[in-house]
Order: sequence, then C-alpha cells, then structure tokens
Amino acid sequence: MSETTANPIGVYTRPKGNTGWRDWITTVDHKKIGILYGATAMLFFLIGGLEALLIRLQLATPDGTVLGADTYNRVYTMHGVTMVFMVIMPLAAAFANYLLPLQIGARDVAFPRLNALSYWVFLFGGLFLNMAWILGDAPDGGWFAYAPNTGTIFSPGKGMDFYALGLQIMGIASLISAMNLIVTVLNMRAPGMTLFKMPVFTWMILVVQFLLLFAVPVITVALFLLMFDRNFGANFFNPEMGADPLLWQHLFWIFGHPEVYILILPSFGIISEVIPTFSRKPIFGYPFMVFSGIAIGFMGWGVWAHHMFVSGIGPISIAAFSVSTMFIAVPTGVKILNWLATMWGGKIRFNTPMLFASGVVSMFTIGGLSGVTHSLAPADTQQTDTYYIVAHFHYVIFGGALLGIFAGFYFWWPKAFGHLLNEKLGKWNFWLMLVGFNMTFGPMHILGLQGMSRRIDTYSPGFGFEFWNMFATIGAFIIGLGVLAFLLNVWVSARAARHAPPVGPDPWDARSPEWFTPNPTPVHNFDDDIQIEALDEFWHRKYGQDENGRLVRVATAEEVCQDGSATDTHLPSPSYWPIVLAAGLPFIGFGLMYSLWFCVPGGALVLMAIYGWVFEPTDDPDGPHGHGHHDDHDDDGAADEAAAEDAEEAPVG
Amino acid sequence: MIPKSQFVPRGRRSGRFAALVLGGLAVLTGCASDAPLDTLEPQGPIAQTIDELSDPVFLVAGIVFVIIFGATAVIWWKFRDDHSTDEFPDQVHGHFRAEIGWTIGPTVLMALIAVFTLLTHFDINSEDREDIVVSVGGERTSWDPEVVVVGQQWWWEFRYYFDGLDDVDLSDPKHLPPADIVTANQLVIPTGSEIGLQVTSRDVIHSFWIPALNGKRDAVPYRVSPWKIEAVTPGVYFGQCTEFCGLSHSRMRMQTVAMEPVDFQAWIDEQVQPASDPAGAAAQRGQVVFEGQCTRCHVVNGINDDAGADLVANAAPNLTHFMSRTTYAGGIFDLYEADGSLSRPQLEAWLRNAPAEKPAYAEGRRGMPAMGLSESQIDDVVAYLTTLGSSPSMEVIAATEVDR
Repeated sequence: MSETTANPIGVYTRPKGNTGWRDWITTVDHKKIGILYGATAMLFFLIGGLEALLIRLQLATPDGTVLGADTYNRVYTMHGVTMVFMVIMPLAAAFANYLLPLQIGARDVAFPRLNALSYWVFLFGGLFLNMAWILGDAPDGGWFAYAPNTGTIFSPGKGMDFYALGLQIMGIASLISAMNLIVTVLNMRAPGMTLFKMPVFTWMILVVQFLLLFAVPVITVALFLLMFDRNFGANFFNPEMGADPLLWQHLFWIFGHPEVYILILPSFGIISEVIPTFSRKPIFGYPFMVFSGIAIGFMGWGVWAHHMFVSGIGPISIAAFSVSTMFIAVPTGVKILNWLATMWGGKIRFNTPMLFASGVVSMFTIGGLSGVTHSLAPADTQQTDTYYIVAHFHYVIFGGALLGIFAGFYFWWPKAFGHLLNEKLGKWNFWLMLVGFNMTFGPMHILGLQGMSRRIDTYSPGFGFEFWNMFATIGAFIIGLGVLAFLLNVWVSARAARHAPPVGPDPWDARSPEWFTPNPTPVHNFDDDIQIEALDEFWHRKYGQDENGRLVRVATAEEVCQDGSATDTHLPSPSYWPIVLAAGLPFIGFGLMYSLWFCVPGGALVLMAIYGWVFEPTDDPDGPHGHGHHDDHDDDGAADEAAAEDAEEAPVG
Repeated sequence: MIPKSQFVPRGRRSGRFAALVLGGLAVLTGCASDAPLDTLEPQGPIAQTIDELSDPVFLVAGIVFVIIFGATAVIWWKFRDDHSTDEFPDQVHGHFRAEIGWTIGPTVLMALIAVFTLLTHFDINSEDREDIVVSVGGERTSWDPEVVVVGQQWWWEFRYYFDGLDDVDLSDPKHLPPADIVTANQLVIPTGSEIGLQVTSRDVIHSFWIPALNGKRDAVPYRVSPWKIEAVTPGVYFGQCTEFCGLSHSRMRMQTVAMEPVDFQAWIDEQVQPASDPAGAAAQRGQVVFEGQCTRCHVVNGINDDAGADLVANAAPNLTHFMSRTTYAGGIFDLYEADGSLSRPQLEAWLRNAPAEKPAYAEGRRGMPAMGLSESQIDDVVAYLTTLGSSPSMEVIAATEVDR
C-alpha cells in the first residue's frame, strides 16, 4: 500500500493482483464475493445448527436440564436470528451474486465496490451479533422480539441491543445489495435478453430484491425505535407511557411476512433451473412461473396480520387477512404444479441437484398445505404459537429454502470451483437430510395439535409430548449427519479434483446462459458478449431439429461455450475501502451500547473509508485496460461497460 | 383426567386422520390418549365449532397431499431416465388452458373454504351471553357472566365483578378496581353458560388458552381483548401460556374448573368470605410472619385488602382462599397429594427458595424472591396457609394433578 505523490493526502492507489488473502479482502469481483457470502453463511449455518441441536437436546426429555430456561431462551432466539438473517438470506445472496451477472451475460454487477461493501457489512453485522455470546449476553426475546418483553425492564441485559443494532447493520447490507442487483438486472443484460427471456432464477432474485428494498426499511424503523427505547428512554413501545405494544408486531410482520418470500423465492428460482435441466425439458409455463413469482411478491405485502390473529385486532381485520392469506396459496400452488408439469414427459436424471430440487417440491407442498390450514383464522386460534407452526415454517424454510440452496450447491459447484461434488456422498447428504428433516419436523405437527406450546424451555410428563420430542431430537442429529456428509463431500471432492481431468464446460447438459462461460468461471466472465435470442439460449445453441423435425444435437458444449481466453477485458479494480467502512459499524454499535466514546473510532473509520472511496482513483494504473481492444461490442455491450464505469466514477458508487 | 366421554362431539372425526397424514405419520395416532392440551378433542361448543371448521380442511389438505405426492411418485417413476432410448423428450413449453385451470381450481377451492371460515370466524367472535342469577353475600343478583383475565410474569389472575363490567375501569391493569372475587391460576366457571373473558396483562404479552374450550387470545398490556369460553361437562380443562413472556414462559399454566351451577354458587359463597384469624399457635405465629413478609406482595382479604405489590406487575396471587386451589406458582405445582393430603415438601421448598423452584428475576422484582425464612418460620407459614380457604373436592384434586 503506497501513497503516490500525485494523489491528495489519504488517497491510495488501488490494490493490485488477484491472489492471496489480500485479494480476498479487497476484491470487488462478484464471483469471489458470492463465494465469500456462501462460505460465511455456511459458517453461521454450523453455529445456528449447533444451537438447534442444543434446543433439541433440552427438549428431548421432559423437565430437561441441558440448558435451563435462561440459556434456552437465548439459544432459541439466536437460532432463529442466525438461520434467517445469517444463513438463508446470505446463502441466497451468494447465489445471486455469483450467478445473476452470469445469467444475464454481464461482466460484473453494476456497482462492484458497493457489492463488496454489502458483503463486509453483512459479515461484521453477523460477527457483531454473535459477539453477544462471547460477551455473555445473547438476545433473549425471540427473533420476533415482541414488545414490551424487549424493553429494558423485561430484558435488562445488553442482549436485545445486540439484536437491534446487529440487525440494523445487516439490514444496510441487504439494502445496498438490493439496489445493486436491481440496477444490474435492469441495465446490464446481454444484447437480446428482454425481461421475458431472463432465466427464472434471475427473475426470482429480482423480485426478492424489490421485496428487500421495501421490507428492510420497515424492520429498520422498528429496530431504530427499539434502539431508542432501550438506550434513550423513547417509550415507543412502552404501554405504561401510552404506547401500543401491537405497533411493534405490525412493523415486524409487515417486514416479516415479505421476509418469508425473501427466504423462499431464491430457492424457487434455483429449482426452476435445476428441474428443467434434469428433466431435459424447458420450464413448463415460463410466463406463469414468472407472474406467480411477481404475484407472490405483491400479495406477500397483504397478509402480515395473519401472524396476529390472536393478538386482539378486530374481527374485520382478521377476516380480511384470513382471506388474503388463503389466496396467496394460489400462486404458490401454480408453481408446484408447473414444476411437476416440467417433469411430466421428461427424461429425469436423479443426480444430487435433482434429488434436492425434488425434495423442495414435495416438502414445500407439505409446508404450503399446513399453511393453508392456519389461514383459517378460527383454526389458527388453536394452532398459533404451538409446534404445529414450528413444523409448518420449517417445512417452508428448511424443506423449501434450504433444500433448494443445497440443490444449487450441487448444480453450480462446477461453475464456481471447476469440479463436481461427489455423487455418492451427495446422495448420502440428501437422504440423511431428508429423513432427518422429516423425523424432526413431521412429528411437530402432532405435538402442536396435541397442544405443545412454542418457545417453552421444558414440558412436564403427562401431556403426551414425550415420545415425539425424543423422536424429533434423534431426527435433528440425523440432519447433523447430513450436514457433515456435505462438508465431507466438499473436502473429498476438492481433493479428488486435483488428480482428475477438468469437468468440462457443461457437466449437466444445462440450458441457461451462465454455462456459456467455462468452468470454473474465469475472472472476466465472458470473452465476448453473448447474443440472446431465446430463453434457454445455451440449450438452443446445442440442439436443433433435423430434416424430419426430430430434436438432435447440433453442437457440442465445447463448440458453444467460450474458452475463457480473453485477456484484455476491462475489469473493475479492487478496493480497500469497503472492508474499512464496514469495520467501523460494529464500533458504532458497541458505542451505542457501552460508551459513546466507541463511536469515535467507528465513525472515524467510516468517514475515512468514505473519503478514500470517493477520491480513490478509478483504475489500477497497472491493471488491464480493455478500451479499444475489445473488438465486437455492439450498442448494448457498450452500455454495459459504460454503466460499470459510471458506477466506479460516481461518488457513492 | 376429566371424563371425556360425557361430552359427545357433533362433528365427524375424519379430519384427525388427515391431519396426521399431513405429518406423514398416520400410524401412531393412539399416542394422544393422554394429552390434556389436545386441540382436536373439543370439550365445549366453541372449541367444537372451530374443530368442525378445521376437520374438513385437514381432510381436504390430506387429499391434496395424497394427490400431489401420488402424482409426484408416478412422474418420477414413469419419466425417469432409464437409458432405454436416446430419444430427446418433447420440448413442451406450457399448456395455457391447463395452467389457467390450476390457477382457477385452487382459487375456487380457497373461496369455498373462505366462506366457511368467515362464517365460523364471526360466529366465535360474536357474543351470546345470558345473565346468570347468582347470590353474592346473601343478595341475589343477575350477573352478566364475564371474568377479567389478567396475565403477568408468570401466573394468571381471574377477577369476578358480579355487578357487571360496565362501570369497571379496566384501562390501567396495574390498578384495577376491587373485585368481588380475585383468584389465581384456576378459572372457575359454571357449566352450560357462555362466559365472556376480558383479557389483559400487567407487564408483557401473554396468551390465554384452554384448548378444549376455545382457541387462544393474547393478553396485551393496557389493552383489553374480549374472548369467551364455554364448558358443557363439569371438569378441569388445562391451559398453557402460548405467547413467549420471558424466563418462565413454559411455567405459566392455568386450568379452567367447570362446575355445575349449584356448585359454582357454593364456590362463590366461600370465595367472598374474608380470611378469619387462625386458631392454632403455629398458625398464629405463621400469620405474624406472613404479615411481616408476604403481605408486601400478596393480598389476603381481611388482613391487607389494599392491593398493590412490590413487583413490576404490581400484583401477586391473592391468597385468601389459597387452599381452595389445587395448584400454585403459575399452575405448575400440586398443592395436594393424590390422597388429598397437603403436598408439604414442595410447598416448603417454594417458601424456602422460590427462584430455585421456578426461574424468575426476583432481583428485578419479577417473580417470588427467596424470603430468607428460617425452617421454623417456614413450618409456621405453612400452618397459616393451610387455614386459608378449604380444600376442593377429591374429584377436582385428582383431575388437576399437574406434576404427573
């Protein structure tokens, strides 16, 4: 890091090179950021999974003493917060970052430095929140943090401050990323790729970014008010001072219900790529798939109060939200039937990605059906806050979202790492997870209907809860074995790949444009702009009709794929500033909790980073310059490049 | 357990099967035989109405489940790649009419369910109470049967105002007007009448739930939410707080004790009596200790009618008729052994160090603290407590046994 005399004070040349640890902390490459997101989220997944196993150990037997009430409340709170905000959301971000530019034929996202900032803010936010464990004061009010139980009287420690500040920090990451990806999709698509030639995955990610854009500000407002309540006595949620504690619930669920679709739609996108590929058919009813995704995105805003059917809101409100909730089942049902219709008449190969995708279709069906049963407000007065709900949302978030993410891992692993994951271990991974998952969460339907309340740290014998709780705990450990099988697979496959021939460009006979790049994706993505004429452009270049109208292979994957040999592609340069800016935020958080003096170094880091970011030279002087060497841009390609450069030059870019 | 056979549900029981299919575990349905919180075993007309709505929907969901899973299995088998041909499948891009069909079909189905849902919903939210004639302190009065239900960390209070609630100001749950009867953890109601509940809370949000009689209703601080329950058969119906309310959420239970109207009248007659001074020497010494220590929070009518406790919730259970209840400490401990004798060791342990028996934030004035009583003082206080109220019938003692 050397200061050049030509620059104003404090402005450094941009980092160089793309190897080693320094590259990883300064990278603005969407692919590396995607991998960072994925690896970090998997780390948090292990923490959240450990918390889940502790919960199950505590509940395995009546009058459990493994954790005790206080620790149990902290563990289940952090399990929820971790799995939602630090696992499923960033795993979706990992796929979005890595694949979305590739699927639309772009060289990177619109604002590469902001992309890096998203990741680092997420990482520091997640670490900040988990610091609560180390400092011995993890949040104890549940991930839903209902007021006034989260006020300083009822939660006097620092736990809920970690919650309020940590989630605000991670919210910044989501917001930045949402704006970045929306701009990317709308402006940087390959020539010929109209919106309705975009892969379904890209569509679903686009819908999710809009949901994030509008939902995250709502939770941010709620958390901001909570922070003021706790630290400055603002009384926004203190009923004794005239506040209505239901305000928190409304704010939380106006965010919280779209959040459910934020969690599930990326997975729907993933399996909408996997199922056609392994059925060797195009997605059935592409417009219906896209529009049902959009419909879910819209309707998801009109159902939040179904989380509040017993809260005491008026009967008319309950009736309205009950009915709107029923009808959101329609677009989700359409998706399930369209996936089945995609498989119908196909030639299905049951490789691991397809197993996981099939798992999503069937497990999400269960989650959707139980969801319908509690859209009936009167029935929900019996079901809500029991284990029936716990069963339902785990079938949605584990069975729907997480299994889909694993389908994505197995499907796109060669794209990111240049080798396949081991199929045999993959099948172990799948079956252990599927069986363990159903053993854990299937019986919770019964426990809930038998009246087992949620969020209880223990239960007495004699309520009929013993057998299925023990059963569920055994299931949870089988899920744990499934996760171990995945980790083992990552390791074994990486070792095996050292001595194996390269995977080739098209291991699955895939359909969508990301497969135009070789495996693993070269740093510059595409050698040349791709010209899109149809959905499944990649597949259409490989297959055509012979003189009898029969489908035949007309080109090998090697002929269709680019070889990654371009050397003169202009790429955004790395930057130090995203990580520096992000590192300042936890200090500000600690400052608000312990001593405002901590805000000084935090604020200084943020200001310094913004200053350095603004005046950072737009380019690495020694880096490759693609201007003029790139021989075949057409107008759209040029627009792409211009957009990327504008981004680099814009003060806030 | 309560004799369930006396209440004959009107609806069909087919939904239960479907519900368990939904869990994919239809085999072991018999396991629920001793589940007092079971949501599928309604024991009163309101819970029955809910059950009659949800049973057919469970059935429909079960049928859809079977169809989808059946279709999936068929598709996976029929269209698996068995390498028998190298023919490439037809590249079907969709079928507009089919897709319109499976958009409209579920819409119609949901609309149908919506109609029944709304009917049931407005039914269980309507009020259909009739006055009950009761005698309070010798005076006959026509009581609009409503009970004020107050949640606080981690127990329930039930307040009876026999002049009706029209003139009772419930806006400040920490300073409620004096009531005719104040009791805790066991809500006593007469059978055969719809009983209105006005549910509120003194601290955080709780949820009142007696699954056999109705669904749940949150107790939100400084809000009063109407709810209702109705029992047909005399018996004891179990409940559990279902809204996370902090440390001892799992140890916040309650029961509803339904009595024949004549027994209910006897219960009123007893409950409206204030406590009288005890006879025995130990009990008298216990009363001195009690008045020095326990009355800082607890009320015993006749001794310290002044409500108000040195606690965040500003209330602790009214102990005037302590012995007439079969549980204490948020409905988690039995006051009586199965033979009807006092369950003394547990009660002594509770007086010795309550936070060790039930997690609480005593230092934060939430929950009963360790009182620092000597062993002889504990014996005396127990002797005094046993003079507060008379024990209930053996049937109730047997039916409410919680530490099973």
